[in-house]
Formats: sequence, C-alpha cells, structure tokens
Amino acid sequence: MRERINHILSRVTEEIFEKLAFMFSFPEEGFEAEIESSAAGPPVVTEVFFKGPFSGRLVMSLSPRLLPELAGNMLGADDNETTTPDQRYDALKELINVICGNLLPEIAGKQAIFNVDTPKIIDPDGTAPAADETLLGETGLLVEDEKCELRLYGIGGIPDRVLPPDSGADASDAF
Amino acid sequence: MEINVLVVDDSSVMRAMISKTMGLSGLSLGKIYQAANGQEGLDVLSGHWIDLIIADINMPVMNGEEMIDRIRANPELKDISIIIISTEGSDARIDRLRRKGAAFIHKPFTPETIRDTVKDMMKLGDSDEGTD
Repeated sequence: MRERINHILSRVTEEIFEKLAFMFSFPEEGFEAEIESSAAGPPVVTEVFFKGPFSGRLVMSLSPRLLPELAGNMLGADDNETTTPDQRYDALKELINVICGNLLPEIAGKQAIFNVDTPKIIDPDGTAPAADETLLGETGLLVEDEKCELRLYGIGGIPDRVLPPDSGADASDAF
Repeated sequence: MEINVLVVDDSSVMRAMISKTMGLSGLSLGKIYQAANGQEGLDVLSGHWIDLIIADINMPVMNGEEMIDRIRANPELKDISIIIISTEGSDARIDRLRRKGAAFIHKPFTPETIRDTVKDMMKLGDSDEGTD
C-alpha cells in the first residue's frame, strides 16, 4: 500500500502545483528522504493535521527559492510586483491545505469525512515522525528545478475498512 | 446589475485569488468585501448590502457551514446567493451544503468555473457581464 500512497501523493501534488500555482513539477529521480539546506538556506516546512477514518498529518518541505514564484503566481502578481513574507507563507499553507484536501479522498474514497486543521509553518526538524506516527507515504518532486518533499504520517496506520474496494490493497499491505 | 460580493476565507492568499478571479470573470461587479471567518462575514453582512457570498468551509472562530445556517435563519439575509469554494471531498458534506442552498466549487478552481457558477446561481445572462 505504501507504493500506492506514494503514487497518489506524487500525482495529487503535481496536479495542485500546476492548477493552483501554474508551476510544473516532476518526480525526483532517485529520491531519498532528507531535503538538505542549500545555498538558499534551510527548507521551509509546513504541516497540516487531519482527523477522520484515519488520522495523521501531511508535511511538506521545500526550497525557500520556490516561495516568491509560488506566492506571485497564486496572487497573480505582476513581474515587478514583490510579495511579502506573510503572503509567501500564506501561499504555502494554502498549497498544503489544497493538497491534503484532495489527497485524503483519493486514499479513503469520497464517502470518507475528514476534518482538516489549519496548516502551520514549522521548524525544519518537524519533518521527522513523532513517536506515535507511522510513515504512510512520501514523495520527492522537482518543482521548477527546486526540491520539494512530502510525507504523509498516520497515527496507527490505515484500517483496512477505510480503503475503497478499488484501492488494490490486500491483507499484506496492512501497516 | 452590479454584484456586491463578500469573500470569506481564512487564507488571505485565497481571498486575493478569488477576488482577482471575480475581477477577471467579466461579470459586472460592485464592491468586493473580504472577511477571514464566518463571524467576520456576518459582521460585514450586518453593515453592507451583499448579493453574493463566496466562502470556505474550514475556518477558525466560525466555519462556513455555521455561517450559512445563521444566514438562512435570518429573514433579511436568507435569500443571499452562497457559493462554497473548498477542498472538501466528502460527498455527504457537499450534499448537505447543497441542501442548504449553496453551490459548491472544488479547489483548485478555474476562473471559468467561478464565472459559470455565479451566472447560473444568480440567473445572470450575457447582458449582465461587465464591459471592461
């Protein structure tokens, strides 16, 4: 099931980047978790918690170089128009909110009801799982040649009853 | 007919996106007001004439569904057109909002989707589109 969630996470994220921010992304070849600090500085990390048929959080870390274009595109800013740090963080929080909102029904089906919290910007160390969290899926993308990573953590995994019939999951997939 | 619009969303970026999209929609617009949650939205409604509300669901202080319930319970406000723009993916929740008389647009959205939904909901023809 991990592979399936990785695939969904990657597809949904690519789609939302394109539709919401007009930015194109591609799966990162040889992706390995751990986005490191670059010349642009440490990654910017945002998280959003959710509760429902399964509960957990989605964490996204990306290069700070992406933020000006992300916010500018979402706001429809002109080329000579700069965005404020607050607008950039707000754009990132809206991005993860839309990704999470589109991701969960893809995993659990459209009958599932989830409550999604308000996204927050967190310390880069916050990408690691908490003691009660299980990694359900992860993906690494290159967005406009900059790194972007997402991890989906669950508290206690995903119960088999949550998965829709066409999910392709079998008993061996259980966490 | 000029439409006064109230955009209710806790994300300032989403409020700006919706406002900009409305501006590009070709519809004849009056004023566009903004509020960061349902309670702020009700405060705006108490002091201004609004023809159309575009709101999110998940917001702090007062969510979009509670705001709709308060509006529908108020004789002076109950007939205002309401469009929900949200990432909500649950069919049950979307059906519940529709039964309360709200149209639903899924995020991410296109400007055309907003324009067509507004025209459909407010029964506007091409003659109601702005000229600029």
